[in-house]
Amino acid sequence: MTQDYEVEFVERGEREARILVRGITPAFANGIRRAMVADVPTFSIDTVRVIENTSVMFNEQIGLRLGLVPLTTDLDDFEIGDEVTLSLSVDGPSTAYSSDLVSSDPMVEAADDNIPIIDLKEGQRLEVEADAVLDTGREHAKHQGGVAVGYRHLQQVEVVGDLGEFEDDDPNILRGVIEEQAAEHAAGDATNGELVATDEFDNDLRNRYPGKDVEVSDVPNAFVFHVETDGSFTTEELVLRAVETLRDRATELKDAVQL
Amino acid sequence: MMVPVRCFTCGNVVGEHWEEFKARTREAEEPEDPEKVLDELGVERHCCRRMLVSHKDLVDIVSPYQ
Repeated sequence: MTQDYEVEFVERGEREARILVRGITPAFANGIRRAMVADVPTFSIDTVRVIENTSVMFNEQIGLRLGLVPLTTDLDDFEIGDEVTLSLSVDGPSTAYSSDLVSSDPMVEAADDNIPIIDLKEGQRLEVEADAVLDTGREHAKHQGGVAVGYRHLQQVEVVGDLGEFEDDDPNILRGVIEEQAAEHAAGDATNGELVATDEFDNDLRNRYPGKDVEVSDVPNAFVFHVETDGSFTTEELVLRAVETLRDRATELKDAVQL
Repeated sequence: MMVPVRCFTCGNVVGEHWEEFKARTREAEEPEDPEKVLDELGVERHCCRRMLVSHKDLVDIVSPYQ
């Protein structure tokens, strides 16, 4: 199956992006989504050696909290299974934060600085040594780089007539992204073919097409992905790595079945 | 006891916003509307919002009984 596809950014940010992909099947779109969630590895603390813990939490609870802290991951320099050691040593009274984690490798450190690990009172102390390991979301959810990754069909709105003067004035809620097809009826500036996120008109089609009767339909084979990362890497890195794992597996299958 | 690091449902990191959320909605002299604070912090989904809205710090309550 060879088919042309096209990729376009609707919104683009470090940690959150919306990407429109045209010319792919629903099955392939779901494949990309699953690859983003399960197949792109990130660093996460996996083993904790407790040297001293006189806090109000058990060692296991501290270990769980440390495991969930996102760590910056550069996938060019590490392979699955690589380990990096981090240490944490805090004396009470104070709070241990994710920024107190000291890494042996400057490329792997806490992506968010303000996450409270444990509140320490007078005389309490926490000292641990932890090994972070690079692994995939398939292995454990703490290794997932993508957060709330999903997709929707791109939608188009067709104006089919005017609303009657005494018609019910119910909200016409729509979420996602629409491709403008009826610019002449739209409120404000609009050009046909433009991509409009529905939150621009408060998710209510009455605001976009005042007084018009509209019908919404899906644009075939066009999907808008919503991609968010936990800070381990950028959205761009996540999507590219996900597609790469898909390609690698397809190539592997092709080689395996060749005569 | 301590605020969860991540949202149970979607896995977004919410722990980093806790202290600001707490300071602005519960400890300030004129507490702000939690809805507004969460919007400003960029905690959008209702799964993540409930993590902060429904949380109570218990370390101070538990610590005398060590």
